[in-house]
Amino acid sequence: MEKYFRFSTISIIVTYLLIFFGGLVRVSGAGMGCPDWPKCFGRWIPPTNINQVPEIYIEKFNIVLAWVEYVNRLFGAVVGLVILLSCLFAYLYFRNNKDVFYPILAALVLTLVEGWIGSILVHSVLDPITITLHLLLALIIIGLLIYSSIRAYVVIKGDFEINSNYPQKFKWLIFSLMTLMIIEIIIGTEIRGALDISRKNHPLVKGAVLLKMLGSFKYAHTILGILLVSITYYMRNILINLGKSCSKLMLFSVNSMFAIFFIQILLGEFLVFFDVKPIVQLFHMWFSSLLVGLCVVQYTCFKISKI
Amino acid sequence: MNKISIISFSILILFLGIGASWVINKANESDSIPPPVIRKIPDFNLTNYDGKSFGRDSLVNKISVIDFIFTSCPGPCPIMSKNMKELYKQYELHSDLQFISISVDPDYDNLEVLNAYAYANGVTDKRWKFLRGEMEEIKNISTNGFLFMSENLPAGHSVKFVLVDNNANIRQYYDGTDKASISILRKHLNIFLKDMNHKL
Repeated sequence: MEKYFRFSTISIIVTYLLIFFGGLVRVSGAGMGCPDWPKCFGRWIPPTNINQVPEIYIEKFNIVLAWVEYVNRLFGAVVGLVILLSCLFAYLYFRNNKDVFYPILAALVLTLVEGWIGSILVHSVLDPITITLHLLLALIIIGLLIYSSIRAYVVIKGDFEINSNYPQKFKWLIFSLMTLMIIEIIIGTEIRGALDISRKNHPLVKGAVLLKMLGSFKYAHTILGILLVSITYYMRNILINLGKSCSKLMLFSVNSMFAIFFIQILLGEFLVFFDVKPIVQLFHMWFSSLLVGLCVVQYTCFKISKI
Repeated sequence: MNKISIISFSILILFLGIGASWVINKANESDSIPPPVIRKIPDFNLTNYDGKSFGRDSLVNKISVIDFIFTSCPGPCPIMSKNMKELYKQYELHSDLQFISISVDPDYDNLEVLNAYAYANGVTDKRWKFLRGEMEEIKNISTNGFLFMSENLPAGHSVKFVLVDNNANIRQYYDGTDKASISILRKHLNIFLKDMNHKL
């Protein structure tokens, strides 16, 4: 049983690393590093020099971008295997526990779908809506993994929410946090996508200038961000007042969320007021995936406390 | 517990940040190398749709994107011209970049037809040229200049876009009907234009 917990924890970590790497592919412009899928320039191991590149692909070859994209695919395959192994252990020890087994099974299926969306991305030459879907699905997978993992932990180590007494409105707070966060992420990807289109139509213009040219929906992103911080702050106050009738995990999750939201606002404003730096974009995206994970932790804790 | 987790999280962020910055830098570097010179275009003599003559000298000091089409072509030409038009619009602020479409059917494509074709493609300035000439000259420049097969003109013309630098050197060929290939062309154009702006 502990084996399952160990593997599901590893799968959470590697999935987060994969989300980071996926973002890295995006910001380094390596999305089309391999013009074909699943092979790269018609090879299972990407070319290391131009002579290995078939004639029809010759202008598309950039060794750095090809390997960045290919490592992302390979790492994706490794993550798939880790989730598959977790799923096997879940079957061995938890097949009768629907809170553990079904989420991990769903995560496995969705991981396959995620790979398939990856192939569509390449074939559609990075269609913006598909890029967003690719990210959202990754967030759903991470949510399922976290939920399943915590539920397994409760079975193994006992109910850590036994003394918790969260007010009923927590359910709605967590629910609205999650919904607003997903909307916030979609607006964020929209801004990112619009920036790309703008860059295409105005080559050689600085990112910060292009960002200023975007429509007013970028203010919605800021306003929603402030709203999210406020909700988290409110939840944090309630938890602190609860004192001992609140689990460490819940408190840790809300505290971390508050801190990361704060960092997110700083990073976001950095993007607006200084140039749109790829590394900042990358962390801005990745931290938002951590926030979604933390929100799932809160949901799981709340749910366990009500059993 | 809290302190340790904050410290280990910060270290993780630091490592990820350093690694990612390294990859982003590498990617940027590799993306700012212009494609190497393939060959110099030999001299040629064609006529633009406004009646002015156009030769190799007209390529000097400009970045050019060149393709071979004919106006009555049913197949790939409309897609090629649509893609060319998109580039023409996207780079409207860059007068040192020109687009050149050479007709491979000069019998049909007289200056009047080319004028109408330019108009239909929304050409409003001198950045996009439509050239014609004697069939012999077209075949010569297509075969010996651009290394295209020219036996079955007009139908058998290439669908490539050719990037030519400010010294009339061919730098790279792109598939004029393929989105992914054209996005690489855009990337290369930006490298050359940036370079030219620096020199000014």
